[in-house]
Amino acid sequence: MKWPQILSPGAIAVTLALGTLWAGVCAMQWVSPVFLPSPGATWSALLAGIAKGELAQLTAGTVERMVYGWALASLAGIALGALIGTSAALRAWLAPTFELMRPLPASAIVPVAITFIGLSPAMVLIVITFGAVWPVLLATVHGFASIEPRLHEVGRVLRLSRAAFIFKIGLPNALPDALAGMRLSLTIALILAIVGEMLASQQGLGTSILQAARSFRAADLFAGVALLGLIGLVSNALLSMAEHRVLRWKQPR
Amino acid sequence: MNVQPVTAAPLIVFDRVVLDFGPLRIINELSFTMKRGEFVCVIGPSGCGKTTLLRLLTGLVKPTGGEVRHNGSPVSGPAHDVAIVFQDYAKALLPWRTVAGNVSLALEAAKVPKAERADRIHALLAKVGLAAHAHKYPGQLSGGMQQRLQIARCLAQEPAVLLMDEPFGALDAMTRQTLQDEMLQLVAGSGTTVLFITHDLEEAIYLGDTVLALRAGPGERSSLAQRFDVHLPRPRDQLSTREEPEFLHLRRLAFEHVKDTH
Amino acid sequence: MSTAAHRRFDLRGLVLPLVLLALAEAAMRIGNTESDTLARPSDVARALWEALRDGTVLVASAQTLGAALGGLALGGGLGLLAGLWFGLSTRAERWSLLSVELLRPVPSVALIPIAMLVYGFGFRMEIAVVAFTCFWPMLLLTQAALREVEPRLFEVVRVLGLGTAERVSKIVLPAAAPRVFVAFRLGVGIALVVAVTVEIAANPQGLGFGLMSAQQNLRPDLMFALLLWVGALGWALSAGLLLIERHLFRHTRAQGGNP
Repeated sequence: MKWPQILSPGAIAVTLALGTLWAGVCAMQWVSPVFLPSPGATWSALLAGIAKGELAQLTAGTVERMVYGWALASLAGIALGALIGTSAALRAWLAPTFELMRPLPASAIVPVAITFIGLSPAMVLIVITFGAVWPVLLATVHGFASIEPRLHEVGRVLRLSRAAFIFKIGLPNALPDALAGMRLSLTIALILAIVGEMLASQQGLGTSILQAARSFRAADLFAGVALLGLIGLVSNALLSMAEHRVLRWKQPR
Repeated sequence: MNVQPVTAAPLIVFDRVVLDFGPLRIINELSFTMKRGEFVCVIGPSGCGKTTLLRLLTGLVKPTGGEVRHNGSPVSGPAHDVAIVFQDYAKALLPWRTVAGNVSLALEAAKVPKAERADRIHALLAKVGLAAHAHKYPGQLSGGMQQRLQIARCLAQEPAVLLMDEPFGALDAMTRQTLQDEMLQLVAGSGTTVLFITHDLEEAIYLGDTVLALRAGPGERSSLAQRFDVHLPRPRDQLSTREEPEFLHLRRLAFEHVKDTH
Repeated sequence: MSTAAHRRFDLRGLVLPLVLLALAEAAMRIGNTESDTLARPSDVARALWEALRDGTVLVASAQTLGAALGGLALGGGLGLLAGLWFGLSTRAERWSLLSVELLRPVPSVALIPIAMLVYGFGFRMEIAVVAFTCFWPMLLLTQAALREVEPRLFEVVRVLGLGTAERVSKIVLPAAAPRVFVAFRLGVGIALVVAVTVEIAANPQGLGFGLMSAQQNLRPDLMFALLLWVGALGWALSAGLLLIERHLFRHTRAQGGNP
């Protein structure tokens, strides 16, 4: 996100125009308020939910799930990725299996997880972790596998131990790839958190927007969706900032 | 049999070294010695295996036949006092570490205690003229500076033997000349033995005590086509040395040799 | 993936899955387990074969693919047009930036309740969610594709004095085509994943719903069979599109790589 560019006057004007359009459509009743709540109604629902304290709880529930699953997935993905990425033999053994798993929708794991674990908080966490591990794992494997061969030679000439090589050369080299993978994992973690909540009726924003839809409470529904969008926005922005800080050395001359 | 006097015992011996790469014989029956403190330059057309020489010396590659000896014993793997400067310097540096950090890598590998490192890094950077850039990243340096950084890291190993693979090949002529002289200065003080690969005939004569000319596709013959001894006075100077009659004589010999073998 | 993997098919990679399958089959036959959760590989194969024969898998696949491709056509098509517009007009791109960054992060599955509210269950609801999800990557990748058109070509355009319409049709579009195709290929993958997810979460049709039904009816053999089928479908689509891409753009230097 390039901050100054995003907040250019033209951009703000366009966004405000879209908001006005939204309000206008609702005021003219071109779309039934059952389906499309006005911006005002959505805002009121948001405030009411915060005042009652329940929105905070629901948000916390979803965010917790997302973060735990994502953190676990990142740790496992990087550790396994380092192991597999540094061994050409392991890569040969595992590559086709990974290729087969890649196109599989992460959500398809849900019924399998329900079968083995049942509808429970643990199931949701496991689904999130399993689904979110693949982008990090594959990106880290690539990051380690694509280490400049010259750096391998430098490591050997300096007689670095395997552990020293992984920590001093392998990991920093793989970090840009791993971070990109982690960003993708975060998106998947949020999606799976929501799906998991919806199916396992766990307390969180996912369940609450589903219930709002079923009870035709459009304003609550839109408020919840807006919050989920906000979670996505903020978490991604935070990760991008961290990525930027860590990869400072990539700045051009 | 050659009886070498003990005081001039060769530091490095290539003894009838043969190297095959699959069905291709890259190096055949290569024999030469290097004395302690000698500056040996290797020239030859592409495919003659000159880059591979360095890898044989570091033990990164094992010979198919014959033996490479360092200090009397066969080379089995990288030794702590053998350093290698690669031609593609950008790829041999760690882009995520600062200039100081890159030099530090060699000290960390040698298990130098943390307290000592800062001083040694500073001294090394000063030697190659990068002291003012210690906190920059390699991506922010020019080509010549990056190569100096790599040299500094190699010097951090306090090498008895310095291997250089066309280190100045990717640099412009002015920078090349400057670095050539810096190299000579660095090495003169420390008595390091140097094996220097280059495709630049004049550079080889200017820098070396000895010039080895290799041939590509040796077939049945030895890879070593010819050996020139360079009897030019030291310290060398870009202008006066290159005008010496001996320099011009060697230059003619080398050019004619190259013409014949191409 | 490296080209070496394609040149010399490394059989080692097949060992792991085959060994695991063989072990699972043996273990379950020996233990003679009748289980609600596990299924023998041979039973899974049989379930898949029967489901194919009686048409249920094919119907479900058609439903899922229909919704996926319909949503891709709608959302991806709009994304492509918007991407072309923003890519060609820097002003449009700048003005759209804030709105795009605010709307893009909304997770696709969060729209399921909204689509349910408006359309109930069925195709339209699923297409709506897929369309929203596919719009953004198509938009961003098309913009990127246009940005990467060799600037030298634009100078050629100026020198030749080509008008805007000709500029777009003769230079910009052909130059950006390979990358746009990559975006489309990725879009198909995304569309399939989102369609299956919508079916798993809510919509009672298609392969995702089949998976959930199999689980609820305690048919692990059918569940794993469908899981395999979904994976195979995704892989086949991706591989097929990659082949088409390689063929279409075999004369172009810049080719999209495998993500």
